[in-house]
Amino acid sequence: MMFDILAQNPNLAVILAATLLPLAAFVVVLLFTRSRPKLSAGLSIGAMGGSLLCALFLLIRHPSMDVPLQYAGRWLISGKINIPVGFLLDPVSILMLFIVAAISFLVQVYSLGYMAGDPGFSRYFAFLSLFGWAMESLAVSPNLLQLYIFWEIVGLSSYLLIGFWYQKFSASQAGKKAFVMTRLGDIGFFLGILLLLFHTGRLDIATLAAASTGMSPSMTTLAILLIFGGIIGKSAQFPLMTWLPDAMEGPTPVSALLHSATMVAAGVFLFVRIFPFFSTSQSAMTVCLAVGTVSMLLSATMAMVSRDIKQVWAFSSISQLGFMIMGLGAGSRFAGMFHLTTHAGFKALLFLCSGVFIHHFGTNDIETLGRSGCRRQVIPMVCLVIAAAALSGVPPFSGFFSKESILSALAGLENPFWLVAGFLGAFLTAYYAFRLVFLLLFPPGGMDSNHEPAHRNWAMAAPLLILAFVSVVLGFFGKDLMQFLGSSGAGGALHKEAHRAWLTVIALAMPASGIVLAWFEFGRKSSDRKGFVERIPSLADFFSQRWYLDKFYAALVRRVVDGGLSALCAGNDRKVIDESIDTFSRSVIGAGRRVSMWHVGRLQQKLFVMFAVVMALVIYFGFNFG
Amino acid sequence: MPEHFANLPFLSVILGCCIAGVICILAIPEERHTAIKWTAAVFSGLTLLISAYLFIVYDRSLTGFQLVEKHSWVPRLGISYFVGVDGFSLPNLLLTGIVFFTGVLTMWELKTRVKEFFALYFVLVTGVFGLFMSLDLFFIFLWFDVSLFPMYLLIAIWGTTRKEYAAMKLTLYLLAGSALILPAILYLSATSGLGTFDLVALMHPGTFTPFQQKVAFALLFVGFGILAAVWPFHTWSPVGHVAAPHGVSMLHAGVLMKIGAFGILRVAIFLCPEGWRFFAPYMAFLATVGIVYGVLAGLRQTDLKYVIGYSSVSHMGIVCLGLSTMTVGGLNGAVFQMFAHGIMTALFFSSVGYIYDRTHTKEIAQLGGLSKTIPVASAFFITAALASMGLPLLAPFWGELLVFISTFSVYPVRAVFAIAALVVSALFMLRVIQKTCYGPEKPQYEGLQDVPFRLAIPRIVLLAFVVLLGLFPSLLLNVIETASVPFMNGHLL
Amino acid sequence: MIVPFSHVMILSGVVFVIGMFALLARRNLIMMLLGVEIMLNAAAIAFVGAALRWQDMEGHSIVLFIIAVAATEVSIGLAMIVRAHRRTGSVDPEIISLESKKEE
Repeated sequence: MMFDILAQNPNLAVILAATLLPLAAFVVVLLFTRSRPKLSAGLSIGAMGGSLLCALFLLIRHPSMDVPLQYAGRWLISGKINIPVGFLLDPVSILMLFIVAAISFLVQVYSLGYMAGDPGFSRYFAFLSLFGWAMESLAVSPNLLQLYIFWEIVGLSSYLLIGFWYQKFSASQAGKKAFVMTRLGDIGFFLGILLLLFHTGRLDIATLAAASTGMSPSMTTLAILLIFGGIIGKSAQFPLMTWLPDAMEGPTPVSALLHSATMVAAGVFLFVRIFPFFSTSQSAMTVCLAVGTVSMLLSATMAMVSRDIKQVWAFSSISQLGFMIMGLGAGSRFAGMFHLTTHAGFKALLFLCSGVFIHHFGTNDIETLGRSGCRRQVIPMVCLVIAAAALSGVPPFSGFFSKESILSALAGLENPFWLVAGFLGAFLTAYYAFRLVFLLLFPPGGMDSNHEPAHRNWAMAAPLLILAFVSVVLGFFGKDLMQFLGSSGAGGALHKEAHRAWLTVIALAMPASGIVLAWFEFGRKSSDRKGFVERIPSLADFFSQRWYLDKFYAALVRRVVDGGLSALCAGNDRKVIDESIDTFSRSVIGAGRRVSMWHVGRLQQKLFVMFAVVMALVIYFGFNFG
Repeated sequence: MPEHFANLPFLSVILGCCIAGVICILAIPEERHTAIKWTAAVFSGLTLLISAYLFIVYDRSLTGFQLVEKHSWVPRLGISYFVGVDGFSLPNLLLTGIVFFTGVLTMWELKTRVKEFFALYFVLVTGVFGLFMSLDLFFIFLWFDVSLFPMYLLIAIWGTTRKEYAAMKLTLYLLAGSALILPAILYLSATSGLGTFDLVALMHPGTFTPFQQKVAFALLFVGFGILAAVWPFHTWSPVGHVAAPHGVSMLHAGVLMKIGAFGILRVAIFLCPEGWRFFAPYMAFLATVGIVYGVLAGLRQTDLKYVIGYSSVSHMGIVCLGLSTMTVGGLNGAVFQMFAHGIMTALFFSSVGYIYDRTHTKEIAQLGGLSKTIPVASAFFITAALASMGLPLLAPFWGELLVFISTFSVYPVRAVFAIAALVVSALFMLRVIQKTCYGPEKPQYEGLQDVPFRLAIPRIVLLAFVVLLGLFPSLLLNVIETASVPFMNGHLL
Repeated sequence: MIVPFSHVMILSGVVFVIGMFALLARRNLIMMLLGVEIMLNAAAIAFVGAALRWQDMEGHSIVLFIIAVAATEVSIGLAMIVRAHRRTGSVDPEIISLESKKEE
C-alpha cells in the first residue's frame, strides 16, 4: 500500500528519499561502521549525493507545478492538540533544500581531505549526515511546530560539531555556549508558536502566509517578535550574536557548512518562510530592520580588528545575515532570499579556502598565514579573492547583484537612515574583506623564505573551483530566481522596485572606496599595515572585545544565574527547607531525651510516689465502694 | 485479545511473579550469587514480558477498566482485592516492568549481600506493581506502604553518600505522606455512606459534597505530592537518589516518584474533581516553582547524582503542571511525561552506575575526558542528558510539549516561566556533559574497560524506548487517550 | 492456740512498712533489695494467714511461688548490683544512674 502511494506521487517519493538518505547514513555510520572510516565517509557522501540528486530533480521539475505541493500525515493527536507531519514543496523550500544539499555535498567531499587521519573521522561524517537530514527536513517542513523540532535538531548537530574536538576545553565551551544562546532565542520562538496556536489554532506555513490570522494587532506583533527571537538566536543577530565567533572552534568545513552557509541562515529562511505573516505588523518589521542594521554594523566593526581569519568570516556572516534581515525588514522577500543564496555560495567558499590554509599551515592568525606564504597556493588564493570580491559586492560577482537588490529595497523606505546604514555596511564589508586579502597577499615583514612545496589535494580543490564558478555566474540569474520564487501562489508580496541609477552608482562606489582604503592601509608597499581603527587604541580595543558583549553575558551567567538565582535555590534547599526539617527532627529527638531523663535516676522518689498513689487509691476506693 | 488468553488473570500473574521471585531468591543458598541474579533476571523479565504483552493486546477501542479481577476480602469493612488497568495505569505498568528488568541487570555486578538485596528489590517492586493496578483504596494504601519499607533497608545497607541520613529522611518524609493519605482514605470511605473502599463505586458523581472533596483533595495532594517531589516537599528526593545504589535509584526516580503523581491522578483527581478544580491553580503554582527551582538548584551541584536528582524534581514539576491544567492534553502530557521521565532517568542512573563502578567517584570535578576513555558508556550518558533537556525526537520532548501547550492556554504566565526553565536546564546539562565526558583524558582513568555488550543490554533497552517513543509518540498516547478523553468528558467538560 | 487473723494482718502490715522504709529511705542498693524481699515476705505472711482463715490451700501454693520469685529476684538483682558496682564503684542508685548517663 505504501508503495502504491509512492508510485502515484513521485514527488513524495523523491522528497522522502532526499531527507531520509542522510538519516539512514547517520544511523548506519554511528551504529555499525564507526571503526571503518573510509566506508563511513563513502556512505555519508553517497547518501548526500543521492539527496542532492533528488533536490535537483525537484528543482528542475518544479516550474511545472502551479501550486505548492503539500503532503501531510499525523504525528500525534492529543485532545484538541493535533501535530501533523509532512512536506511542503514550494519554490522557497525547494531552493533551500537544494542549497543545503549542494553545500553539504561539497563540504563532505572537501572534508575527505581536511579531516583525513582524524581519530573521529566516522563520527564526523555521522554528525554531518545528521545535520544534513535535520536541515533538509527543516527546509521542507509544512508547519511551524515541525520546523521547530528540526530547528532544535539542527542546533544539536551544531553543538556536536562545534565541540567535535571535545578534548579541547575551548571547543566544548563554545559548543555549550552556542547551544544555550540559541536555546534562549528558541524559547521566544516556542512561545510565539504557542501564542499562534492558542489564538488561531493552526500553524501551517501555507495558510499562515496567505491570510491574516484574525488576531488582534498587538497580539500579532507580540507573536512576530517572539518568533523573531528564535531568528535572532539562530542567525546570531544582536544581542545573541556572540556565540557564532566562538563556534569557529569547530573544524573549518563545519564552519563553512553550518556556521555561515546554511544553519545560521535558517533564521533568515524562517523569516522568508512566513514573510507574509511578518509583514502584517509594521512595527514588528521596523524592529526586525533595526536589529538587522545593528547586527550588521556591530559585527562589521568587530571584523575590522580581528586577527583570526575564521573570526573575520564569522563576523562577516553575522553582518551579512543582518543585511538579509534588513532586506526582509524593508519588505523585499526576494532580496533576502537572493542574498541568502549567493551568500551561501561565496561564504562557504571563503571558509573552505581559509580551511586549506589553516590545514596546511596549522594556524588561524592572518599575518602568520601571510608570512608563511599562502599566496603560493594559487587555486585557494584566487578563489579567496573571488569570494571576497563577491562578499564586498564587486561586479560582476554574485554578491553585487544581491546586495544591490537589498539596497534598492532599503531605498524604497521613507526613512533614509536605513539606506545610509546599508551603504556604510557595504563600505565596511569591502574594507575588512580586502584588509584580510591584502594582509594575506602582502604580509607585513614579507614572506618567510623557506619554500614548502604545496601538494594539491583534489578532494579539497574541486569544491573550491565549483563554488568559485557559482560565485561568478550566480548573480546573473537574479531575474530567473525572482521568477522562480514569484511562481508560487503563496509569495505575492514581491516588490517591484524602480531601478534607480544613482543607487547603482553609490552601490558601486562604496565597495570601491572600501577596497581603496584597504589598499592604502594594507596593500601598498610603504603602508604600515595599520587600519584607521587601530590608530585609536581605545576604539580598537572596544571592537576586539566585541563591544564587551561577551564579558556582559559571562558576568550575567556568573553573577545572576550561578551566583544569584542558583545559589538562592540551592541555599534555600540546604539552609531553609532541610535545616528546618532537620531542626524539627532534632528538637523531637531532644524532647524525647529530656522526657527520658525522668526515667533515669531518682529511683526512690518514684517508688515513693508509686506507693503514695496506691495508698491514695486504696483509701479512695475503700471509702467510696466499701 | 486472543480468545484462549482472555480469561487468564494477567494482573495477578504479574504480582505472582514478583512474589514467586522473592520466594525463589530466598530459597537459593546465600553464596550462589549467579543463580540468584539469574533468578531475579528471569522473574523480572517475565513481568516485563507480561506487561508488554498487555500493552500490545490492550483494547484501544474500549474505555474504562480492562482485565478486571475482583474478590471480596474483608466484606464487613468493604475491602476487596480489586485490580484492573486503564489508559492511565497501563503505561505505568509497562514502565515498571522496563525499569524493574533493567534495574536488575544494572545491579549485575553487585557483590555484597546479593540475596537480601534482590529479595528486598522484589518486595519493593511488588508494592509498585500492586499500587498501579489496584482499584481498592485500602489496597492502594497497603501497596504504598509495602513499597516504602524496603527502600529504607536498600538505601541504609547498600547505599553510599550519607546513607543513614538519606534513608531516614526519605522514610520519614514518605511516612508523613502516608500519614496524610490514610485519614483521607478513611474519611472518604466513611463519608460516602457506601461502606466500601471500592474506587469505582466511590467515583460516581455526587458521592461527595464539594467541601468533602476539597478536604480530601488537599490531604491526598500533599500526601502523594511528597512522593512526587512537589516543591517544597522535594528535598528528600535528591538526597535519596544520591545515597541509593544505582538500581535502586533507577526504581526510585523512575517508578517510585511516579507513584506519587499516579496517586494524585488516580485517587485525588478521580474521587475529588471538585477539589481538583478548586486547588488546580495552586497546584500549577507549586509545579512551576518546582520546575524552575529544580534546574536552578541543580546548577550548583557537584555530585553527578545530585544533578540528576534535581532534574527529576524539575521533570516531576512538569508532570504536576500537566495534571493541574484540567485538559485532556494536559493529562495526556502528564502521563506521557511520567513514562518518558521514567525511562530517561533510569537510563541516566544506569549510565552513571557504570561510570561510578569504574571510576569510583560521582564528583563531577574529578571526572573528565570520559568520551575518550569509555566512549560507549558516555554516549549513553550524553543521550540521557540530551533527552533530559527536552530535545525533540527523544521521548520527554513530547510530554513537555503537550504539557506546555495545554498550560499555555490555561495559565499563560506560569507556562512562560516553566518554558524559560528550559534554557537553564540546557545550561546545566551541557555543563555536566562538558565536565564529565569532554576535556582531556585523565591519567587515572586510562585503560578503563568500555561497556561490554552483556552489561550494555539494560542501557540499550532503555535507550531504544527513549528513541522509539521520541519518534512515534502515538504508540503511547493512543493508550492514554482511552482513559483521559472519557474521564474529562464524564467529569468536567 | 489459734492466732486471730487480724493479728496476722497487722504483723504483715508492719513487716511491709519496714520493707517499704528500707526501699525508700536507704541509699544502698543492697539494702533496697532487702527491702523488696521483706515486702514480699509480708505478702507471703498475709497469704498464709488468709489460707488459714478461709481453709483454702491456694494461699499456700502462692506462697511457694513467692519464695521462688524472691529467690530468683535476689540472684538476678544481686548480679546486677555487682555489675553496677564494678562499672561505677558505688552502690548508690543516684550515682549509678548519673554514671550510666555519662556513658551514653
